[in-house]
Amino acid sequence: MQKTLLELKDLTIRFGGLIAVNKFNAQINVGEAVGLIGPNGAGKTTAFNLIAGVYAPTEGKVIFDGEDITGLKPYDVCRKGIGRTFQVVKPFGKMTVLQNIMVGAFINTPKPKEAKQVAVEIMGKIGLQSKSDSLARNLTIPERKRLEMAKALATKPKLLLLDEVLAGLNPTEIEEAIMLIKSINREGITVLMIEHVLQATMAICNRILVLDYGKKIAEGTPKEVTSNIDVIKAYLGDEYEDVKN
Amino acid sequence: MSVVANGLSMGAIYGLIALGLTLIFGIMRIINFAHGALLMLAMMISYWLWAATGLSPYILIIIVGPIMFIFGYVCELFLIKPVLDAQKEVREPVAVLLLTAALAIVLENGALMLFGADYVMAHTSFSKATLALGSVTVSASRFYGLIIALVAAGAFYLFLQRTQIGRNIRATGQDRNAASLMGINVPKTFAVAFGVGTALLCVAAVVLIPFYYVHPSVGAVFMTKAFIVVVLGGLGSVPGALLGGIIIGLIESIAAQYMAATLTAMLVYLVFLLVLFVKPTGMFGSPYEW
Amino acid sequence: MIKIINNKKIILLAGLTAILLLIPVFITKPYFLHVIVMCLLWAYLASSWNIVGGFAGQLSLGHGIYTAVGAYATVMLFNTLGLSPWLGMLIGGSLAVLLSLIIGFPTFGLRGAYYALATVAISEGVIVLLNSVSNLGKFQVGGAEGLIVKTVGNSFGAIQFVSKVPYYYIMLIALGLAILVAKLVKESRLGYYLVALREDEEAAAALGVNVRNNKLIAGAISAFMTAIGGVFYAMLIRYLEPNAIAGAAAMSTQMVFMTIVGGAGTVLGPVIGGILLSIVSEVIRFYLGGQLMGLHLFVYGLIVMVMIIYQPAGIIAWYDKFKEHRLRKIGNKGGASGAENSSGA
Repeated sequence: MQKTLLELKDLTIRFGGLIAVNKFNAQINVGEAVGLIGPNGAGKTTAFNLIAGVYAPTEGKVIFDGEDITGLKPYDVCRKGIGRTFQVVKPFGKMTVLQNIMVGAFINTPKPKEAKQVAVEIMGKIGLQSKSDSLARNLTIPERKRLEMAKALATKPKLLLLDEVLAGLNPTEIEEAIMLIKSINREGITVLMIEHVLQATMAICNRILVLDYGKKIAEGTPKEVTSNIDVIKAYLGDEYEDVKN
Repeated sequence: MSVVANGLSMGAIYGLIALGLTLIFGIMRIINFAHGALLMLAMMISYWLWAATGLSPYILIIIVGPIMFIFGYVCELFLIKPVLDAQKEVREPVAVLLLTAALAIVLENGALMLFGADYVMAHTSFSKATLALGSVTVSASRFYGLIIALVAAGAFYLFLQRTQIGRNIRATGQDRNAASLMGINVPKTFAVAFGVGTALLCVAAVVLIPFYYVHPSVGAVFMTKAFIVVVLGGLGSVPGALLGGIIIGLIESIAAQYMAATLTAMLVYLVFLLVLFVKPTGMFGSPYEW
Repeated sequence: MIKIINNKKIILLAGLTAILLLIPVFITKPYFLHVIVMCLLWAYLASSWNIVGGFAGQLSLGHGIYTAVGAYATVMLFNTLGLSPWLGMLIGGSLAVLLSLIIGFPTFGLRGAYYALATVAISEGVIVLLNSVSNLGKFQVGGAEGLIVKTVGNSFGAIQFVSKVPYYYIMLIALGLAILVAKLVKESRLGYYLVALREDEEAAAALGVNVRNNKLIAGAISAFMTAIGGVFYAMLIRYLEPNAIAGAAAMSTQMVFMTIVGGAGTVLGPVIGGILLSIVSEVIRFYLGGQLMGLHLFVYGLIVMVMIIYQPAGIIAWYDKFKEHRLRKIGNKGGASGAENSSGA
């Protein structure tokens, strides 16, 4: 019996007249790797922001590990065990890679020595050891994306929200990233990832949720979802009504 | 009632001073801490020109205006621009703020060295005169100040709305990248905006010297008030600056009737803090994202 | 290779300490000693401001209120109740901390420029208040005329000495402690969190950093230290005048400029900036001040402007670049790499 880690109940947010996320219901279980896909503007990042506490929902609840965390501020949400990355990566430019990761590690210990140990360990897993003393602003895009993940991992989250971490990577880099995310998931960290790179999502995730105009329009295994007519219509438009996978 | 009239006049002058500040603040997103010192500079130049030529201060606008414009233009181009460019990456460029604060010190002490610490005033024929408007007696110089301030504000508004330069300035303020893509020379527009903001001070300067003492540190007092007016009126808003100024002027002169001068000052600061915390965008908000 | 560098560092430090301790032996003219003590005081004040202004990145332009709180509280207690300033500074410091929390809570949420304006307004309000209050019950405050510190002659408990020498050592120790505090903060979790929130508040929050609380802590530490600096100022000058102890020109902006010129957010930057700008200002005032009033401030302002335009990261940044350059040369020669972390001591 799988334990529910994250539950979204009728999650809704309105910005003025625009409904960005519309009665989004979802359950993510411990240990899963779930994909969140949908056309641009579907409300995926907004959903992340709702979970992470950047926005407070107009309606609905976010329940994490049995606890209602709706409306908590981002730093509290992080302390509950949710780590997130940002679509446009946010490295602390003037700090070194090691220091960047240490910032994340400090959430679990006030001691710089321990934080450094955790950071070194994460750096090894992520593959950035050689850049330990480089300033974050001097990193390449793929390195920055890995740093973004490393920072979130250093907080030792139970749930990791990945926002388009594969965007802008070449095929080799994508392969490496897939392996990395899979290993993170294998270690027991539940993953919820927004992605446009469909093959990667299918390779990593056992389940996929599809958003369109803020509403969930499909849910299932990668195969089920990609042959779902509504999903195809959402991405390609109504003329492709006759397309069958 | 003359209290109200005087409050209105001083308020309009505050608004006038705030106009330049809100332009610079709103278009370039920089807090010009040298605004007070620039006002002092304008006042000094106006006073000495008056002392030398005997011309009515109001006529001197024609000479002092361009001088201040050029000074402001040059300051922006050579002092502020390098720092702004270097701070493009930084989220909140405070280096410019500090630069202008240092500039203020340089200007103030430069004036101190050149002109000495004496308090001077342009004693004109109308300095001490009063006017009778219906049942109300007002100080003539302040009243003229009110009229000129309103006229100047109106002219400035038309400048922003109807001239090409004005439109360029407004466009750059809204979105400098889009403006640059449309062919507007953004660096030059900034320099012009700063120059105009500085030149506006000369109007306030000539209005003030007939009844307000000029000395090297006279700017400081006006500057804080100008910032309060800008925040109250709303960043980047011309009517906001004028209205905000009048409100502050009225608060000051009416409150002075009931409380000590020091408490009046504190009241103004309290109003300011209240606005900052409750509605930082001020009365007329800001059409621009900060 | 590294061992040699470390030994060199220790030798340099020991040598420097020896020189510092022996200065009063070589410099005996009271005026010069006074200038040096003031330099140390300004270095101390700049370091105190740096905690909130440099490390936390909050441009407080009204920090003079904390020197005022520290000074006035201590002097009032000393004059009226005979309370030793050593105890008085703890009370003054605590009041300053309280004030910083009350002010910080609503203002730390404001955008940078608005925050700066708020601190200016609050500071000017406090000065107006100080100028208008003559007495607080049986406590003399002095108002605009100022408050004279009761003279008791030579007394360590009263931090009053006839000679300038004890002041020198007290200030030296205080500065040393300030540098220590800065280093401790920088290398602690607080320090890391402050740099993170300075770089990117959103990213910091996503990693569990309570942005506001960390700013408040930095603000409190800074306020406490600054207040103590105000006490030293009071006991040195023995006269408190609202504009001098809290004024923008005389106090608040000085602390800011010195830190910026030296290097904000570093440990030694404010010290260098404080000492340098004080000396320059004093030298000019001494040699030329009589003839041209305002010249020293004029030059002071020019220096600040030049630094902001050409090296906004401060003098420390030049030193860092020099160090990196040297290390690269050594690295090229010996084949050993090792990019040392560049962040000033």
